[in-house]
Amino acid sequence: MINLILFTVLGLALFGSFIFIALQGSPKGLPDSSAVQAVTEIINLEASSFANARRLLDDTDYQLLCSNPDLRRLAERLRNDRRELALAWISQLQGDLLTLWRFRRFLIHRGVPSSVNEELRTLKSLVLSIALLSFLRVSIRAMGPFALPRATRQAGQLVDGMSKGAALVLGRIPATGWAEIERSWVKSAA
Amino acid sequence: MLLSEAIGLAGPALELAIILLLLRKKLWRVYTFLFVYAFWLLIGNSVILGTFLYFSKIYPDFPNVYPALYWKIYWNIDSIDVVLRFVVIWEIFRQTFPKRSGLNKSLSKGLGIGALALLAAACSIFLIYQDYAGPRSIHLALDRSFGFVQALMILGTLVTARYYGVRYGRNIRGIALAFGAWVSVSTATNAMVDLTNSFLPYWYYLRPLSFVGMIGVWIWALWVYEPNPPIMESGELELSQWNQEWNRTISATRTIMRP
Repeated sequence: MINLILFTVLGLALFGSFIFIALQGSPKGLPDSSAVQAVTEIINLEASSFANARRLLDDTDYQLLCSNPDLRRLAERLRNDRRELALAWISQLQGDLLTLWRFRRFLIHRGVPSSVNEELRTLKSLVLSIALLSFLRVSIRAMGPFALPRATRQAGQLVDGMSKGAALVLGRIPATGWAEIERSWVKSAA
Repeated sequence: MLLSEAIGLAGPALELAIILLLLRKKLWRVYTFLFVYAFWLLIGNSVILGTFLYFSKIYPDFPNVYPALYWKIYWNIDSIDVVLRFVVIWEIFRQTFPKRSGLNKSLSKGLGIGALALLAAACSIFLIYQDYAGPRSIHLALDRSFGFVQALMILGTLVTARYYGVRYGRNIRGIALAFGAWVSVSTATNAMVDLTNSFLPYWYYLRPLSFVGMIGVWIWALWVYEPNPPIMESGELELSQWNQEWNRTISATRTIMRP
């Protein structure tokens, strides 16, 4: 009985999925209108090139200001400024990750060798990283920029995994020039 | 003329139409596996229609009471059909990820293992389910177990293609969506008819109607030759730049995680 109910529900759900795909229209090629912009971003990923991240989340200055009662208000302003900067940076970092991920899909589409396992691993790492960064944004918004340094340490391992997976794929590719990638991308977006 | 007879006639007529279409436009060379399946459908459904017409002459109660031999022929042809449907899936896969494309090289092994796992799951589901009310139930169980897996395979192919931005032409898009929708409906209705006999009168019409609908969409899809656009392949690419940027982003993320 359960078997039959399950098949009925799953069959109808699958039917709904096909109708949904049909209504969505043809899938667009990966290199859509944002493709050219993405290439530029990849060449200069702003969030990643920010060198003082460690300093941004370091609360030494804040504690120093707090130790002096006359500078409490200044400490609060510093804390608020740091929070806004950290939020903006995390947001940009999420954007960078997504841009790189989109570009990875573009590369696989164009014949860079990979495997389903690697793709799934990368996707999993990306989803977890984005989720953790979103969680960090919420926590920074709620508790300030210096609140959760320890709780997020485990997330670093997931990010490590993603980095290794990406490096593995890219290490297999012979080189002829970055300009060629950009040209191919722009050409396929046309 | 009864609606069931009209549907019964529409099936082989549309199958003949699709074969003629494939032959006339020389598409059978491009979509060979689809052509083989369409040819099988024409033979199988013509036999069913012939049996139907034969019994309607010699049995006075027909079609109110169907003789056992008619059902035996019907279900055996249906069981062969369940297996042959895989050639349509293969056609869709090979057209979506052509053999020499990088995507095929990257994904075919993993997707092949996934397909084998799904096949094993379908066999297990069919063998485990033993609550058969009669011969019809055995065939229905076979049909829905494999139909479910076939729908998943088609959906998996479509989703993977969309993920990598592979563009579909009208031909394969129409064939895949119609086939996927049909096997999904078939899975659901086959379960419902085993679940409750009150669904049986609807099932008699829904099953062939959905099939005729699928063939109709196939004809529409193949009316104009529009294959999938070729996947543009890159030559040798310098990706160390990408690697550097990726690692830089990751290390920046890591800095946030470990301030």
